[in-house]
Amino acid sequence: MDSTLLSDAPPSAPEALTLKPSPWLGAVALLSACGGGSEAEPPAALLNTAQAQDRRQILGGPITGEGGFSGGGAAAASSPPTPTATQLMDWAERVYGGFFPPHQADLSWEGYTYRYYASTQNYLGVKGGRVYILGPVSGGALGDVGALSDFGARVFASSAPYSDFDAARFLTQATLGYTEADIATLRATGYAGWLTTEMAKVPSASNWSWLIGKGYDQGDRNLATGVDSQIWQRLMTAPDGLRQRMALALSEILVVGFDGVTGPWKQFQLAAWWDLLATNAFGNFRTLLEGVTLNAAMGRYLNTAGNQKENAATGRLPDENYAREVLQLFSIGLYELNLDGTPKLNAQGQPIETYTQDMVTQLARVFTGWNLDLPRGDTTPEFARRPMVLTESLHSTLPASFLGATVPAGTPGRTALTQALDVIAAHPNVGPFLAKQLIQRFVTSNPSPAYVARVATVFNNNGSGVRGDLGATLRAVLLDDEARDPAKLSDPGWGKQREPMLRAIQWARSFKASSTSTNWDLGNTSDPSRSLGQSPLRSPSVFNYFRPGYVPAGTAVATAGLVAPEFQLTNETSVAGYLNALQTFVGNGHRDVKPNYVSELALASDANALLDRLNLLLCAGQLTSGTRSTILNAVNSIAASTDTGKANRVYTAVMLTMASLDYLIQK
Amino acid sequence: MSSIDLARRAFLRRAALTGVAGAAAPWALNLSLVGEAAAATNPNDYKALVCVFLYGGNDHGNTLIPADSTNYAKYAGIRSNLAVSQAELAATTLTPATALPGGMQLALHPSLAPLKTLWDQGRLAAQLNVGPLLQPTTLAQYNARSVPLPPKLFSHNDQQSIWQSDLPEGALSGWGGRIGDLMLSGNGGSVFSCISITGNSVFLSGQQAVQYQMGSNGAVAINGISRSLFGSGTAQSALRSLITAPSSHLFEAAYSKVTKRSIDAEAQVTAALAGLPVLAAPFDANSALSNQLKMVARMIAARASFGVSRQVFMVSLGGFDLHDNLSENHPGLLAQVANGLVSFQAAMQELGVANQVTAFTASDFGRTLSINGDGSDHGWGGHHFVLGGAVKGGRFFGTAPAVAVSGTDDVGQGRLLPSTSVDQLAGTLASWLGVSATDLPLVVPHIGEFSTRDLGYFA
Repeated sequence: MDSTLLSDAPPSAPEALTLKPSPWLGAVALLSACGGGSEAEPPAALLNTAQAQDRRQILGGPITGEGGFSGGGAAAASSPPTPTATQLMDWAERVYGGFFPPHQADLSWEGYTYRYYASTQNYLGVKGGRVYILGPVSGGALGDVGALSDFGARVFASSAPYSDFDAARFLTQATLGYTEADIATLRATGYAGWLTTEMAKVPSASNWSWLIGKGYDQGDRNLATGVDSQIWQRLMTAPDGLRQRMALALSEILVVGFDGVTGPWKQFQLAAWWDLLATNAFGNFRTLLEGVTLNAAMGRYLNTAGNQKENAATGRLPDENYAREVLQLFSIGLYELNLDGTPKLNAQGQPIETYTQDMVTQLARVFTGWNLDLPRGDTTPEFARRPMVLTESLHSTLPASFLGATVPAGTPGRTALTQALDVIAAHPNVGPFLAKQLIQRFVTSNPSPAYVARVATVFNNNGSGVRGDLGATLRAVLLDDEARDPAKLSDPGWGKQREPMLRAIQWARSFKASSTSTNWDLGNTSDPSRSLGQSPLRSPSVFNYFRPGYVPAGTAVATAGLVAPEFQLTNETSVAGYLNALQTFVGNGHRDVKPNYVSELALASDANALLDRLNLLLCAGQLTSGTRSTILNAVNSIAASTDTGKANRVYTAVMLTMASLDYLIQK
Repeated sequence: MSSIDLARRAFLRRAALTGVAGAAAPWALNLSLVGEAAAATNPNDYKALVCVFLYGGNDHGNTLIPADSTNYAKYAGIRSNLAVSQAELAATTLTPATALPGGMQLALHPSLAPLKTLWDQGRLAAQLNVGPLLQPTTLAQYNARSVPLPPKLFSHNDQQSIWQSDLPEGALSGWGGRIGDLMLSGNGGSVFSCISITGNSVFLSGQQAVQYQMGSNGAVAINGISRSLFGSGTAQSALRSLITAPSSHLFEAAYSKVTKRSIDAEAQVTAALAGLPVLAAPFDANSALSNQLKMVARMIAARASFGVSRQVFMVSLGGFDLHDNLSENHPGLLAQVANGLVSFQAAMQELGVANQVTAFTASDFGRTLSINGDGSDHGWGGHHFVLGGAVKGGRFFGTAPAVAVSGTDDVGQGRLLPSTSVDQLAGTLASWLGVSATDLPLVVPHIGEFSTRDLGYFA
């Protein structure tokens, strides 16, 4: 072995630091013992395929598990193709880049198509339709990791669903709820085609138009009547599920909450706020950032509205609220990040602040002079959907230096705003900062750094030279190998808790809920002791219902060094309050929002068929056999001979499913 | 002695007691095995701390207001249209046991008037200019960044976490929970050692002691496991087994653990509360803070049924982030604080534990003294209250800051550089509750950096 190879720097791919230790990653097997290492002549050990040891666990083990994890579902599963050796190795570089850092070219030798990774000293190759690994990762001995055909479901996981469960799992991540028809459509079009269609759909009717249609602009402007209805109806009924799901994700990063919105027509302010997010869901971040900055509700929420320049005589200074939170929460965060979302460290091993207090103070000057576009005497809600307008005389005349840039003294307000937002949006942190949080909102609480890096890369350049393409970024989130990998279904740290309002929204969509009054009058469901403990557009602060870095202390999640944002809502009161609320709304709906269990009642006498349906629609096939049999027994303990009995069997099945851990934690 | 040395000493002593070898960080040790056991069987040996957390960063500038002419003039000049009028301060000007230097007088905001009685009775003290510090820090050192500073200053979520735990967001334990760890064995391992009547926060999480969370209306029973579910007893027990099931999935296991704790505690809490006589002390039912404090009082009344001798509670009030509408909104919030504390102290008197319970306020940070027109912005040091029969009330603790902007005591815009650290405040409270001097660094890791470990709140 060439000694220079042994002194190579450790792999730069972050997976090397985060992969779970394999039992075979023991003492390093020096390749000098294997007698090889150069590209010209691989080690002879590679040829001993007959004596190769079973090392399937290196690449995540075989994809079987209980309760449908093998990729079943009601309709026949189709078979993914068998990958070529090239495809298998390209995939391994993406998903196991710590062992096989991208990218090496294919080499051929003695019937092998293989690659050698000098920085990790691992060989990966295919011979006779089987996949082999030799190197430190296989403990120095030749390892057989399975047949090429074993890997089709994983290598091609991001191209198409191969089963109803695959499709349902994708729709769980990408939408607010789905039907059998949605599953069929997705199986017919594949993931990429489905995303294209969804993003091209004409957006559903705005929350604003819904309020107007219902005459909410005719009431008392100081009452917020309809403020919850306007968002519930959109979340529970809008057909453009991907767009609304993206708006929801954005609303949990760029936060406006009812409690902090002041002034008249709050329901219209919040409607216009949501409509802004929904309209820009697949657009450009820079455009969205400007819309957010000048939005009326945000102006009231973080005090840009009416913010005035400095007054040397009185000592008054510009309000810093928006300047701080736009940096800390909406764009770059507190610390400099690598592309993969991990913090950069200085020479002393300490994280590096992105901005100082002084930068906040100076940036605040930019956000002065703006106010609601509300002419005197106008009592209509129109101001709420118009961008704020500038009064130049109230705009700061001082320079503003922040993030390495300066807006010169005397810059007109509109120009200053453009310059400042350009600087913020161009900061290298934005890609990883948003990428990681979008992954957390859609897929999993603890993405690998490589996953974050792949998504951030697309944010930085959508492939056509455009930075900040939110549609492309979302596509990258949902189509990533890691998001689609069926092996993750058996990873004990994978996935996320379904936040309480998403459970209720999915329930409404799955069971064809309707509002008898058409007002969707679910109201404020924030009370954890008797309701969901969460309500849309009612985050308690600009920090959202939960922080991206929240760790539930005293749990196995904490011990494993993972985060679980949604668990910030989970406590002794809220878990009980949810179950009590669930029990009520499963049977009776909530207020005038009622479920229609017609499809479930048709299966009420056949508990197995009923559970199959719920497993597909609610759990994407993730009910374990233990959970399933517990629910089955419970359902079968209720006679199906009467209408009441059938109804109770359905209620029992739905409630027990939505109370189960299998459901509460989405994988 | 440095905080690390103190912690190491404590660790070695504990390691010797438990036979633990190795170089684990002190706070990875199972503190609950080695806590100084209070006399758990003596119901009269009971003490509790109550943290009243004011979320958003309370505007200290309008909480304790300069009332003497010289300083009032400075205050009014800086605070402009947000200044409380001097006439309004007459009734709430405080007379401390030891006068402040330079003839300074401080008055409570008029909405805090109910606290004046407690001050005059010697039950309420005020800690001036307290905030997170890693070590004593001068203005020159701050400006030069020549000493370690708390991370993420001026950021809400991180400063909330640092006040509660000494670490930014993501911390796994808070100093209240670490106190709970040391008291746990004396409490028989009771899950009711650390109780939050507000939402999830790190303050009450320890390594073994876990925050028990409940609402101001009590513990919530799960209906579906209490009686037949949709007419089926099988469904009822199925629900119970599903929601408390073990799991190899880490998130599922975490969720299940919380549910199990909820169920196990609820019957006991509900029964304990049901057996209590009604409190005579009046609490304002329209105030979320008062409702929480009332539940704390009731849980203290029920302490014998939980078999606990040392408890740490947390309640909170939000809305203090007054970048705007300070004049409109601050008074109402302060009134809730004052009324809540007065009600609470009255309840403690009624229960005969006034000398055994100490409440204190805390907040993300203080705010700027300078204003932005109708509000103030994020600050650092702030003023807080300590309340209880054991407190040497009617006194100011700490150093009154100069009333200035870009003066000797602020880092710009009147953001105060703290002259007392949260560690010292926490250390003083923890010591009173019964944490030994040797164990103190396990609760407040930086206490060794400060020459004064006990601020003297207690007689």
